[in-house]
Amino acid sequence: MSEHLEFNSDSETFTHKKQFRFRLYVAFIFVLILFSFLIGRMTQLQLFEYERYQGLSEGNRISVETLPPTRGKIFDRNHILLADNQPVYALKLIREKMDNIDAAKLAILVILDNVSPERVHTFFEKFKQRNRSKSYTLPFTLSEKQAAQFAVISHKHPGITLSARLKRTYPHGATAVHALGYVGRINSKELKKLDVKAYRGTDIIGKSGVEKYYEDTLHGTPGIQQIETNVRGRVLRKLETLPAIPGENIHLTLDIELQKFAESLLGDMRGSIVAMDPQNGEVLAFVSMPTFDPNLFVDGIDQKSYSALLNNPDRPFINRAINGRYPPGSTIKQFIALGAIENNYISPNKKIYDPGFLLYKDHRYRDWKRSGHGLVDMNTAIVESCDTYFYELSLDMGIDAIHDTMAPFGFGSHSGIDLHGESKGILPSQAWKMEHKGKPWYRGETIISSIGQGYNLTTPLQLARATAILANRGKIIKPRLVRTPKTEPLEQIEIKKISNWEKVITSMENVMHSKKGTARQHTLHLPFKMAGKTGTAQVFSLNAGDYDADAIREKLRDHSLFVGFAPVNNPKIAVAVIAENAGSGSKTAAPIGVKLAEKYLETQLQDLEE
Amino acid sequence: MKIELPHTQQVYRKNKGFLEALHIDGWLLLGILLLLATSVAIVYSASGGNEAVITRQIIRIGFALALMLLFAQIPPNIIYIFTPWLFLIGIAMLISVLLFGEIGKGAQRWLDIGPVRFQPSELMKLVLPITIAWLFAHSKFPPSFRRLVLGAVLIAFTGSLIVVQPDLGTSLLIGMSGLSVLFFAGLPWKVIAASIAAVVLSAPVAWHFMHAYQKQRVLTFLNPESDPLGSGYHIIQSKIAIGSGGLDGKGYMGSTQAHLEFLPESTTDFIFSVLAEEMGLIGVIALLVLYSLVIARGLYIASQAQDNFTRLIAASFMMTLFVYIFVNIGMVSGLLPVVGLPLPLMSYGGSSLVTLMISFGILMSIHTHKKLLTE
Repeated sequence: MSEHLEFNSDSETFTHKKQFRFRLYVAFIFVLILFSFLIGRMTQLQLFEYERYQGLSEGNRISVETLPPTRGKIFDRNHILLADNQPVYALKLIREKMDNIDAAKLAILVILDNVSPERVHTFFEKFKQRNRSKSYTLPFTLSEKQAAQFAVISHKHPGITLSARLKRTYPHGATAVHALGYVGRINSKELKKLDVKAYRGTDIIGKSGVEKYYEDTLHGTPGIQQIETNVRGRVLRKLETLPAIPGENIHLTLDIELQKFAESLLGDMRGSIVAMDPQNGEVLAFVSMPTFDPNLFVDGIDQKSYSALLNNPDRPFINRAINGRYPPGSTIKQFIALGAIENNYISPNKKIYDPGFLLYKDHRYRDWKRSGHGLVDMNTAIVESCDTYFYELSLDMGIDAIHDTMAPFGFGSHSGIDLHGESKGILPSQAWKMEHKGKPWYRGETIISSIGQGYNLTTPLQLARATAILANRGKIIKPRLVRTPKTEPLEQIEIKKISNWEKVITSMENVMHSKKGTARQHTLHLPFKMAGKTGTAQVFSLNAGDYDADAIREKLRDHSLFVGFAPVNNPKIAVAVIAENAGSGSKTAAPIGVKLAEKYLETQLQDLEE
Repeated sequence: MKIELPHTQQVYRKNKGFLEALHIDGWLLLGILLLLATSVAIVYSASGGNEAVITRQIIRIGFALALMLLFAQIPPNIIYIFTPWLFLIGIAMLISVLLFGEIGKGAQRWLDIGPVRFQPSELMKLVLPITIAWLFAHSKFPPSFRRLVLGAVLIAFTGSLIVVQPDLGTSLLIGMSGLSVLFFAGLPWKVIAASIAAVVLSAPVAWHFMHAYQKQRVLTFLNPESDPLGSGYHIIQSKIAIGSGGLDGKGYMGSTQAHLEFLPESTTDFIFSVLAEEMGLIGVIALLVLYSLVIARGLYIASQAQDNFTRLIAASFMMTLFVYIFVNIGMVSGLLPVVGLPLPLMSYGGSSLVTLMISFGILMSIHTHKKLLTE
């Protein structure tokens, strides 16, 4: 019985075992099938879709960053730095990566202890509403110390990164701002025009002056940097780099010491001074007063300072040297005289009687000297700046001959200086009046044109250039602010008799040195001979009888002008000075011109001795 | 019989080597050690060469191996005696978790007992299949319908206690381990077919009762690209890691996805992706072959077991191991939803390793104690 049971149990165990083993086989085959299924899946991912995932993996970790180029520096002619790039630190914020925006704000308030909390609040109010994934730069720069403080706690604030960048700085501040110009944030108008690729990573662009004119030279070419980043965008490793090509450095023709001196000569006066080397047109001083500090514009100027500058009645933004259009007054007489004797309208020795006025068609055109100069020849006419002589002469010549005489000296046309937006001024002629005024020319207008009034308008740069061309005896130089190794062959004004030129130049020398010269009192001490011509230009037409400078409101007073060059026989500097509403040329502008020439020639002589 | 016993023991002792003296199965141990060595290497790489992490992991492995050795010494009949008590204790702890448990990652899974914090559901992974095996220890083949129903009720009850934590993933996996016992105990094929049909049909009903995050996981699983920065992110980054490994991988320590932190949980749930990225398809196949060999050895032990109780336990443990492997790899490769499950013997972390090594210890005990149980 027990055996039977045992047997039964054994056979049952046996079949049980068999059944169980069968199920084990089924289970193991199930395992193998599903594992094969997994291997199939892996084959799909790792072999068939490998390229896709490989690409995604690379894309995950590698991001391309633009390396903005370093802007070229600007130096003066003596290699003194005028525009530099200084490292500044700023904070960049990305909302998406911040754990807690309030903690981030608090940290910033603590670090930027010199910034008013309201400005930080204002920034954050805007920042909260902006694109969460984009990076925004806080518009406050950090000192080295603040940057170091932030670096210590930076790990606690994902989403805030310290960025160092180079900021354009102008170490000489307001000096020469109208020549140098400045850079500022790219605006939407500029953005439309520029090559976006070249400006990737750059947010500034030349706004005026040389900074704008030479933008392409100064800007450089951006480079590319492949960087490996982790999931939070943190840079782990730099891979391949195509370095940025920095912008080229530029050397100005300006002498910054002379520039500063020239600016100090004008002082609080409004006006302009342009000095250039008559041999090659290199501009040595380029003054427009008043000036302003270009450093204000680099990171964007605040509204208050901007309105203050914009509404300043002295108009500091106007570049008087190229955009100031002034009646040249008597400073053009020598050019008319040269044209007259070259083209035989008059002999230099012929004397004209000046009773103190010219009567033409019942109208008295007054000389500046009410009693008159008496009998004057060409030399006296220039030295004493006799108006009546030129009134008479102009009626003989006619306006078109005067125009043709003066045009080769650059009046009425662009000088071609390397700045944008230069004014042409006005050199009137019959054709000009018909074109612009739609009326025929009246001869009475010729009379006032002969003393640089009426329609005549010139820029200080034009005056300086015309003087330089006269000084170098007819070489038509092109003014330049940036030094260039290549020199183009210069055109030459046709000289009929060189003695005519020398006579005019001698007369200009007499202006400066002879007993009766209008600028004689300023040159007594000079170790060299200077040639020049003063001018007093009426701003507002007045009857001569009523003239009383002190009684007239300041803005209506005459402009004081001077042109000149030195030394006479080997001209090294030509200069034009305009002091707005500063009275007579001999009183204000002439001494400025003399001092400037003296200062420049002093250093030139020193250089020669060394 | 009493005379022969010393003799058999003598013969037995004579053939007994060092490993057998310790109740260790050499082949199984070899497979486990190979997998653990791989784990140490990959976790080291995935952690970015973090020595603190790897030191902790080695200590855990040592501890788990010691537990395996300890459980290998416990004869299966001792376990058999204590099974009902273990089950009752397990159920009691699951209930206390619901009442006093700590909340971690949105679910009540942890129980604080003095200095130890552990998940009772982890204990249940072992206790439930043992309990079901105990239930069928003396059953016929195929078992009676009444017993099958009782088994199913126990499984459903345990599973439901874990579901409400809520931890759907673990409850399903524990349920699977219980069901695998029913399968090996002789669940009729007709019932199996009908159950599968029922599960498929009841899927929409289950969907209705799911938590929002569970629904999200399923939705993301179905279309990970729909939410690349949200829930789908893990899967996309994991697939990038696996796919970019190619045939032979980026080389050891070459997982850019892990090192650059694109791959989340790279040392734990997504360790397989790191291995696939660094070792490529070749490494993946090698790993699956190694797993298959360990499972094959475990199933062989089950086939050699001499009573119902032990053979059901052994077979069920191996199927559970398989399910874990399959679900984890299926998850990281985008075949299955993200369920937050470590890869057995590979992932960094302690509790699942300890459970697993205890199950291997029990397996070894089954294999090395069977001759004593012949009587």
